[in-house]
Amino acid sequence: MSKPITLSRRTLLRGIGTTLALPWLDAMGPLTGWADGATPVAQAAPNRMAFLYVPNGINMADWKPSAEGPLSAELPSILQPLAAHRGDFSILTGLTADKARANGDGGGDHARALSAFLTGTQPRKTDGADIRAGISVDQVAAARLGDRTRLASLEIGSEAGSMAGNCDSGYSCVYSSTMAWRSATQPLPKEVNPKLVFERLFGSGSREERMRRDARRASVLDLVKNDFADLNGNLGRGDQRKLDEYFSAVRDLELRIERAAHLPEPVVPAGAAAPVGVPESYEEHLRLMADLMVLAFQTDSTRVCTFVLANEGSGKPYPFIGVSEGHHDLSHHGDNADKKAKIAKINRFHATQLAYLLERMKSVKEGDGTLLDHTMLAYGSGNSDGNAHNHDDLPILLAGRGCGTLNPGHHTVYSKETPLNNLWLSLLNRMDISVQHLGDSTGELKNI
Amino acid sequence: MNKAAAEQSGTLILKASISRWKRWGWSALLLGLAPACLGAANGFQESALPFLEKHCYECHGGKKTKADLDLKQIRDDGRLLQDLKLWRGVLHQVNTGEMPPTKQPVQPTPEEITRFNQALEDSIAAAEAKLPLDPGRVTARRLNRTEYNNTVHDLLDVDFNASENFPADDVGYGFDNIGDVLSLSPVHLERYLDAAEGLAERAVVLKLPKPPERTTYSIFLEPGGYGSEDGTRPVTNAVPELFVRHTLKDSGLYRFRVRAGASNAAAGEPVRMTLRVGDREVLTAIVTNAPKKWEAFELELELPAGEHRFSALWTNRDTNVVGQTLYINEFKVVGPKDTRTPFMKRVDAIAPEAGDEQRAEDLVQWFLTRAFRRPPTPEERARYGKVFAAGRAAAEGKWEGGMQELVRSALVSPKFLFRVELDSQPQAVAPQAIDDYQLASRLSYFLWSTMPDEELLDVASKQQLGTQLEAQVQRLLRDPKSSALVENFGMQWLQIQRLATFQPDSQLFPAFDEGLRRAMLRETELFLTEIIRDDRSLLDLVDADFTYVNRPLARHYGIESAAFPEGGGKRRKHGEFVRVSLPDRQRGGLLTHASILTATSNPTRTSPVKRGKWVLEQILGTPPPPAPPNVPQLDAQKELTGTLRQRMEQHRSNPACANCHRQMDALGFAFENFDAIGRFRERDADGMIDPAGTLPDGRSFQGSADLRLILRDKKDLVARNMAEKLLTYSLGRGLEYYDERALRKILAEVARSEYRFSSLVISIVQSDPFRWRRGLGAAAAVPAADRPKGGS
Repeated sequence: MSKPITLSRRTLLRGIGTTLALPWLDAMGPLTGWADGATPVAQAAPNRMAFLYVPNGINMADWKPSAEGPLSAELPSILQPLAAHRGDFSILTGLTADKARANGDGGGDHARALSAFLTGTQPRKTDGADIRAGISVDQVAAARLGDRTRLASLEIGSEAGSMAGNCDSGYSCVYSSTMAWRSATQPLPKEVNPKLVFERLFGSGSREERMRRDARRASVLDLVKNDFADLNGNLGRGDQRKLDEYFSAVRDLELRIERAAHLPEPVVPAGAAAPVGVPESYEEHLRLMADLMVLAFQTDSTRVCTFVLANEGSGKPYPFIGVSEGHHDLSHHGDNADKKAKIAKINRFHATQLAYLLERMKSVKEGDGTLLDHTMLAYGSGNSDGNAHNHDDLPILLAGRGCGTLNPGHHTVYSKETPLNNLWLSLLNRMDISVQHLGDSTGELKNI
Repeated sequence: MNKAAAEQSGTLILKASISRWKRWGWSALLLGLAPACLGAANGFQESALPFLEKHCYECHGGKKTKADLDLKQIRDDGRLLQDLKLWRGVLHQVNTGEMPPTKQPVQPTPEEITRFNQALEDSIAAAEAKLPLDPGRVTARRLNRTEYNNTVHDLLDVDFNASENFPADDVGYGFDNIGDVLSLSPVHLERYLDAAEGLAERAVVLKLPKPPERTTYSIFLEPGGYGSEDGTRPVTNAVPELFVRHTLKDSGLYRFRVRAGASNAAAGEPVRMTLRVGDREVLTAIVTNAPKKWEAFELELELPAGEHRFSALWTNRDTNVVGQTLYINEFKVVGPKDTRTPFMKRVDAIAPEAGDEQRAEDLVQWFLTRAFRRPPTPEERARYGKVFAAGRAAAEGKWEGGMQELVRSALVSPKFLFRVELDSQPQAVAPQAIDDYQLASRLSYFLWSTMPDEELLDVASKQQLGTQLEAQVQRLLRDPKSSALVENFGMQWLQIQRLATFQPDSQLFPAFDEGLRRAMLRETELFLTEIIRDDRSLLDLVDADFTYVNRPLARHYGIESAAFPEGGGKRRKHGEFVRVSLPDRQRGGLLTHASILTATSNPTRTSPVKRGKWVLEQILGTPPPPAPPNVPQLDAQKELTGTLRQRMEQHRSNPACANCHRQMDALGFAFENFDAIGRFRERDADGMIDPAGTLPDGRSFQGSADLRLILRDKKDLVARNMAEKLLTYSLGRGLEYYDERALRKILAEVARSEYRFSSLVISIVQSDPFRWRRGLGAAAAVPAADRPKGGS
């Protein structure tokens, strides 16, 4: 690796005024992968991907803009909290997650909706043995770009994975609580404690302490690899799969330790303080997680993030906005107007949090624009109407400019049955990851 | 599914019919109760087929496949066992009168039904008898958060919620200890490293701290409010004794030290001071130094943990000697002297006489045997011996350094994190008995959610566990650690963790608060504890004449005066639970616990459907099939009106819903006398509540008390359900058709033992799936397409 010219961070900070440290900037460290010629010249910052998920579908009547074309100021009621950002996002209508449908597997639309959302793969109906979906779009990106940042990807949420019992008609709970799949058989748990997310991003202790600890960990990992080798090959198939997960986690940490040794120090931007724990208030919790996502992108700790605002099938009540019924029960609205209004209220609440996140991303200035300009953020649900559990005509919102590769601000209607995965495929290509197929994709999505 | 859709997906019907039905898990109501003899074994073809042709195929055969069920496709009896759950579902529906539907003109006669039962049971039994022993294979289980915490607690004697930051464990088959489902991500490993480092430093302290000192200056000595000057206090007539109380966390050797002086000491008798701990005089001394030239008097003594009173008295006070006074300057209580951690004390006691090299080997052997729950192999001893040596060298030769390093490493090993059951003969074709150490682990994680204790390891090392199994089970169940069975198995089986995050509408239910939430959970825990501890009948779970309440819960139940009689009985601590008997039958058994009634409600109202479903799933083990996809919208013109019950009945008029809801709703409405937080009520907003109902099998009941009797009578279903759930939990895998034989044996034993809880545990522990592991052969006996996943 050629040694890049190193700028001092101080010089840089002075040069760009209020802008915070830009660890991704070429000259600051050997993070040159994204800028070594393959990308458009105009791209001064790396492109990022974020995927936000809301459960139980959306009250589509209050979501879908009335006409195609540029978004007008008269947004449907759920989108109104986003009015100030209407030039920064598009509504994509008509996309379908076919693999969230039963396709012969019977009930379980909630479990499938989340696990098929980013994978485009029919999740295997099982309450335990042989969990299987497919690799998710974020993890395709993480696998390809992960070596450029300290964390390959970040998985966050507000509700932990485990819930009682089989969560949805014979599907293990893992399906309705997991969005990111590292491989077809390895769901990635999400972190719901803001404090722990912060620690993952910025570690704890001084650089020396961290280096010492990393060195010690590297030798522990070396040792336990021998234990793994003892077992490897002497096991049944199920055991072997579990041990493979272990080994791949060991490799992952080893690589991270190697990378940490030559990546620039993580710097906590001014004004950002470590959160203490999980806030009581759901809204604060979501906002804190959103802040952390911004922080992770801003410091180039990762370029890929998934954020599950609530688990699929979540029965959470929203008494603080006047909805004391559980979300899931309400979503079976039976066309009752009162219930639908309440669902719209919940949808609007989530959209309000999205508005907060977009606002935050716009407030971070980066090179030639803002963080939002250098991000592709998808927001939506794998269920359309919660009552019908239909997985076509999904509510999908795409925000950000993806380093000039996206053209936000409009409502586009795609032909029926256009795979949602076409969108994901198109986003991957905008990360300079050339992939022919992803799940059930049939090609690129135009006009995004 | 509408007709067009059904036709469209016609090619998928078969797949759906098998996959959907398989998961229902309907069990046979009449299992084992069918008349024993109706002549020679009737084959499936002769007796079952005519019945199916006559009563079932019209809707579930070939052309029509309602509920995605095509019985024609699976007619040959070779598939009986693989589709056992499906057939049990069919039997259940026929026996309970749910099928064929009453609207069918031709109904089977009781004799036909009996013959059908017999034919199926015989065919199943015959097929089962031909089946080779297949105990299944348990996938290596990663320790879940609870098990991790308990294990490190027992391994290292530390009290520390080490798994607090671990990602949540995923749940399969209703439990969080299923090997196939417990995955391990990089985040897990990162947290394991963190935890191992923290635990190593807690368990082994390189630089021992000084013993804690508790200094009490004279002005803070009891009794208070007395004049003091210059940091001293006189011992006077009014206050002949100065004292201080300390609560000591640990037992051990303590030093009690008092600084005292006497004025005008030479004037009369020497001033004699006595020090006491509690009522015990521990030291008597003559005080000669003048005040401010304090002299220290001290002694060392062994004290148990707990509160102690330390005092000083002037025992020969003579008021005639003018100006003579004993003054106290300060008390000091120092200790415990030994500040080694409990783990270090244990380590110090191991091979203390051995030479350095030998001792290092012994320590590695000792620790790894516990961490890996079996003795280490020579390679492991060598590998971790190096770790120990390196750590020790870094700590200037102290064993503590070696042990710390050993803990730090071993706790990240897959051999610690997973319960791997390595084959001694991986290529064996026939099933293999698991070895004694593996059995010891299965036993302790099943009943205690933690590693085997010394006794289990000892018995395993002598290979005597097999013969002592029953005695060991009884011992483990009696041990307080068996509360893990209540907290982990019980709470998950009942699915009431949901209560922990449940938020009833605070406007409608202002009575619900955190205290009540905790009390609800505690009631259920205490109730289950009694079932286990007193080895009661499983049927008591369904209906019992006792429960446990504290004052808030008693108030909630309207039995405060009965549970806490005025003036009667002893004084109760705040929040203390008492056992109460429930003579009036309003409540009794789990089904009327506020915990379950609340966890099966919506935030604003009760949900009879959820309650009914809960009874079917959690108590009877006969979950209703999932609602058909795309339930047609209720006609918007036909707004549902009337009481909740009337609205449900209108809802049920939709034939797609009727069959399952008839039973679910009847069960649920029986509990309508309990509101969404489990309070008893006579009426709701719609008027008087009518909890009466009729089950599909024709049995009627007036309310929950009646229904509980009916349910209690369904002994086989209740026992089978418990057995299935507990076997699943104990094995850490889902049950498969080949477990049926073991289940039958377990159930026969349980019935013979009058459904006592321990008989269930013992017969599970002695069952083939618990004690054996599949070899390479059994899997091959199963058609490839149906080969259970996860085996080799």
